[in-house]
Amino acid sequence: MATDLQGERSQTSEASDLPALGVDIRRAALGLCGLAGFIGLWWVASLFQPEFVLPSPVTVATTFVAEAASGEMLTALWQSSLHWIPGTIIGTLLGIIAGIALGWSQLLDDITSPVVRTLRPVPPLALIGFAIAWFGINNAGAAFIIAIGAFWINFYASYGGVEGVSDDLLDVARSLGVKGDLELVRSVVIPAASPEIMTGIRTGIGRCWMLVVASEIFGVPGIGRRILRASNNLQVDVVISYILVLSLMFLLVDSAFRAAQRRVLVWR
Amino acid sequence: MAIDHSGGSTVRIENVSKQYDSKQGTVQALGGIEFSVERGEFVCIVGPSGCGKTTLFRILAGLEPPTDGEVLLNGSTVTEPNADMGIVFQEYHLFPWQTVQENVAFGLEKADTPADEKRQRVQHLVDLVGLEGFEDSYPKALSGGMKQRVALARALAIDPSLLLMDEPFGAVDAQTREMLQDELIEIWQETGKTVLFVTHDVEEAVKLADRVVVMGKNPGSIREIVEIDVDRPRSRSDSEFGSYYERVRSLI
Repeated sequence: MATDLQGERSQTSEASDLPALGVDIRRAALGLCGLAGFIGLWWVASLFQPEFVLPSPVTVATTFVAEAASGEMLTALWQSSLHWIPGTIIGTLLGIIAGIALGWSQLLDDITSPVVRTLRPVPPLALIGFAIAWFGINNAGAAFIIAIGAFWINFYASYGGVEGVSDDLLDVARSLGVKGDLELVRSVVIPAASPEIMTGIRTGIGRCWMLVVASEIFGVPGIGRRILRASNNLQVDVVISYILVLSLMFLLVDSAFRAAQRRVLVWR
Repeated sequence: MAIDHSGGSTVRIENVSKQYDSKQGTVQALGGIEFSVERGEFVCIVGPSGCGKTTLFRILAGLEPPTDGEVLLNGSTVTEPNADMGIVFQEYHLFPWQTVQENVAFGLEKADTPADEKRQRVQHLVDLVGLEGFEDSYPKALSGGMKQRVALARALAIDPSLLLMDEPFGAVDAQTREMLQDELIEIWQETGKTVLFVTHDVEEAVKLADRVVVMGKNPGSIREIVEIDVDRPRSRSDSEFGSYYERVRSLI
């Protein structure tokens, strides 16, 4: 069939959709100015405060380096990952599975809705008693707290994503021979909802770094424990150093995930 | 080649009606629709908006049950979309996460076609609708006309004996529409499939169809079925074409 595609407008060259690695220089410069200004204000403020209220940036930097050099920092990071990683993975997976199942099946949704609504507002921190009773003061207990946080974020993101899948796409799939719920979910629902699912995972990852502190409140060693102990001793410089570690870890994992997300969602 | 020339299917629409219940009372969307389509025939259903042609389309496709009556495809009642029919919607409904190639192959994933044959078949269809070179593009990068070509190829991939199309060229510009109409006729002639094509465009109906089913409103019902006895390719500047056009128009 002789077809003349030139008659039609197509927008095939959309490579610019993906921001290249070279960051916008103007934005980077402005961000750097903001950061410098923040540190400057901090420094000025610290001049009028005792060390245990607000240490100067220099003190914090010195402490950070000392903690890093002594290996304490790496140990704390390692200890935290022992519950952050399993907690995040398990909570994320369960949240996605539950979100897809309940988003897809009206029956399951109706059955579970009262329970879900009761459990939803419970903050993970309120479950510490259960964490200790069921798992003990160990990584499993801390992972449980983190998993709860990851679960709800991923549950609602996936649930919303699945609810938003267009009926028309499902009709098309049926007309092309896709039969049964499992098959439809696999071939249409999950890919169609993947942007929302991915956003959920990403939000969850961030939330889980915050929960690391909470999950170590009852004595499991790690970054959070280190922050809590330093707070009790009024070592504010140590507190800030470990907060910085959390921020850096978050930044690292988040950027890695964003890169992965961009690859998976090239079609958007 | 991969496209089967086994021909089309017969469709019988028997006394189909559809009512919707609402708070204001019952709305009769379709009443007593009855006609049949021969094997390999190209039939257009034309009517003003609100005449229930999309409802009829959805019933034909098995996406919605009729309140009364039934649709018979090759003698068996249609209750859900099945592999005997390829459905093409106005809004394309491509799978946005799949490339052109993957979209076309979608219906083949389930079939036990050997990988090699599958690939050949997909390539053949992509060529058939004139999209060679765009195999790896995602739908977002395609124009409306190209998207509709993908949708057509995807529907043809499962080798249905009936093609059901709901205003498939309604969302593209006039020039592209004409091109797609010509291509559809070529594909139809080449494959011998039965085509049921819903449109609100009288000119399109007269240009494409062997027979035009003209529908009217309140309730949606058949006014008349007009046989278009003009040789293909048809030209709208033809006087014969013009008189059929006037005839169908006057019925709406």
